[in-house]
Amino acid sequence: MIIKLMIVTLSKERKGDDFLFDTGSIQWDKEVDVIVLGSGGAALTAAVAAAENGANVLVLEKTHQIGGTTAYSGGVPWIPLNHYMKEAGFEDNREDAITFIKRLSLGRADDHMIETFVDKGHEIIKFLHDNTPVKFTTPLSYPEYYKRMDEALKNGTRSLDPAPFDLNEIGEWGALLRQNPIFPPLTLEEGGAVGGIDFQLVAERMQKNIVTMGRSLVASLFKACLDRGVETLIETAGKDLVINNDGQVIGVVAETKDGEILHFAASKGVILASGGFEWNKQLIKAFLKAEITHPVTPPGNEGDALMMAMKAGAALANMSEAWWYPAMVDPTFEYEDHVMAQLGSGRNGPNSIIVNKYGRRFVHEGTTYNDMPRSFFNFDPVKMEFPNEAPVWLIFDQQLKDSQLIITMMPGDPAPEWVDQADSIRALAEKIGVDPDGLEDEIRKWNEYCEQGEDPDFHRGTIQFEALTTGGGSPENNLGKIEKGPFYALPIYLGALGTNGGPKINENGQVVDFKGEPIKGLYAAGNASANPLGPIYPSAGGTIGPAMVFGFLAGQHAANLAEQPAVNY
Amino acid sequence: MPQGTHIVEVPLNINTIWEFVHDMNNWAPLVPGYINHEILSESQSTWAFKGDLGFMKKTVKLKIDIKEWNEPKEVIFDLSGLSDNFNGGGYFLAEPIDEEHTKMTGHLDITAGGMMGAMVNQILTNFVPETAQELTDNIVKKLLEINLVK
Repeated sequence: MIIKLMIVTLSKERKGDDFLFDTGSIQWDKEVDVIVLGSGGAALTAAVAAAENGANVLVLEKTHQIGGTTAYSGGVPWIPLNHYMKEAGFEDNREDAITFIKRLSLGRADDHMIETFVDKGHEIIKFLHDNTPVKFTTPLSYPEYYKRMDEALKNGTRSLDPAPFDLNEIGEWGALLRQNPIFPPLTLEEGGAVGGIDFQLVAERMQKNIVTMGRSLVASLFKACLDRGVETLIETAGKDLVINNDGQVIGVVAETKDGEILHFAASKGVILASGGFEWNKQLIKAFLKAEITHPVTPPGNEGDALMMAMKAGAALANMSEAWWYPAMVDPTFEYEDHVMAQLGSGRNGPNSIIVNKYGRRFVHEGTTYNDMPRSFFNFDPVKMEFPNEAPVWLIFDQQLKDSQLIITMMPGDPAPEWVDQADSIRALAEKIGVDPDGLEDEIRKWNEYCEQGEDPDFHRGTIQFEALTTGGGSPENNLGKIEKGPFYALPIYLGALGTNGGPKINENGQVVDFKGEPIKGLYAAGNASANPLGPIYPSAGGTIGPAMVFGFLAGQHAANLAEQPAVNY
Repeated sequence: MPQGTHIVEVPLNINTIWEFVHDMNNWAPLVPGYINHEILSESQSTWAFKGDLGFMKKTVKLKIDIKEWNEPKEVIFDLSGLSDNFNGGGYFLAEPIDEEHTKMTGHLDITAGGMMGAMVNQILTNFVPETAQELTDNIVKKLLEINLVK
């Protein structure tokens, strides 16, 4: 009752913009130095940094589990010059890293943000290594995705593989760590993301409660938070920022799952780190080039942070971009009441091509998961259509079926009923609604290219990513005829590992307004912010690397501010 | 081998229980995550249900072969995956305590095979006993509901 009365009071005392409050009237439920919204990699790194610098920190997580998108992921940060590389004997240098990032970003990122990332990232990883349970190894067999580009690192990898972590270390919070149905409890190096899985080891890890990849990163960061007295509330969603009459963010209005409204004061800052907007259809329609129909993320990422930042007057950047993924589906799997989008596989292998509705190839099938779906957006100004609009189709034959794990189909297992198959290419095309003449012609051409050992149309067999851990693309690895029936087809949808547009931040992780001035008391990191490196995914860990770095910088900066003088409560 | 046994005392006569249990159509919808079933013969049926594995849900199709109908106390069955690689079996056992009370036991065991078997069996370690308990409890609840109405 008291809370309801308070809300009425607030609404009566709104001044001008509807997010400005007479802060003198607010009855705070809790007062802390720093509030962090979200509990993924960016959020928890921010919380660790703030607490390490003496701040009293409160983490608010909307869902019933901690870990956000990071727990659901491989948990790999991509960090140039990190000390693990040096220990593994790999050389890296600042100028090469900066040149490479600039090359990929195509002029769409600020130089000083790239430099900040390169200069601070390895220091942060070293800090975490020396002072927290957050440990990594260098995945020796997992090279850089763009290794064959002139500007790329040729020897070694900047990706970091979270070390296995005993979930019992975080006590009862372990049961609240977001589950990861995508990756088994293996490290990247052990094959967690590329196959060749030791299922016996998986079973042992599950039995002993040992986690890896994204769950390891989150659990170890969370332990670091617990060690520093950070408080976490789950099922408590940040709904609105409290901004005083000086335009300074001084707190958060939150809502519990039971609908209770709570007011939390933050004397030093609020850090938005609650993920992107890939599960918000309205925001997707407003900003992205096409609808992400199959996010490969937890459903809680609904753009809460973006909307709060927009209301606060944030400048936005990178808004039409996401961390794209060509998602596939085994419809028998569901995650939190949605058919689960899966990472799929098979598209890099021989004996397969990807075609559009005309039965035509339109892209190098084995390019990185962030790059390949960009071809979905090509516009045909004569036909006035997007001919490659998803779903597109992975077409493959029995040879690939017999040799690779494809989504959840093990080699040798009978094809499940949800996979379209036919004894002829023509019959398959008719079954899936693809132009049969086009598909027959395309496969005839593909088989000729395989005989020649060269793909002049799209250059299959030439890039690193399409045979990432087996020496890179080559005609032997990647060109194989589609000739042995039955023939199969699987739809590929537009998926994403999250969006990467949002409020623009500066080198301190502060959200800036349209004049480039920091909005006092407001920070953002991870998918809740615009990626400071622009629309790029440099290699494994391209999302989490910048998320952790700018999360840390935000937490550090907020904690080191003097208690904000304009806060009036 | 992931397995679970659940025992419950039911305040009903054993014949009342048998009357319900001997017809699979009566209790098939009580299987947790039930989607549908089809009776193929007196001893064979196919089932589809959505198993809640905690971290995700998985739709599976399986075939049930009744091995023994021992009226009025026992139904023993084998099961095999149609959509996935697993096998197993189970039973319902009813034992009279007195004229108006019966001890009812539900048992289920499922073992996954193939390359992923070790991993899947670890996942099933909790799922199978929970399912055995939930199914048995659901049947008891339904029995009581029906007989209270009568």
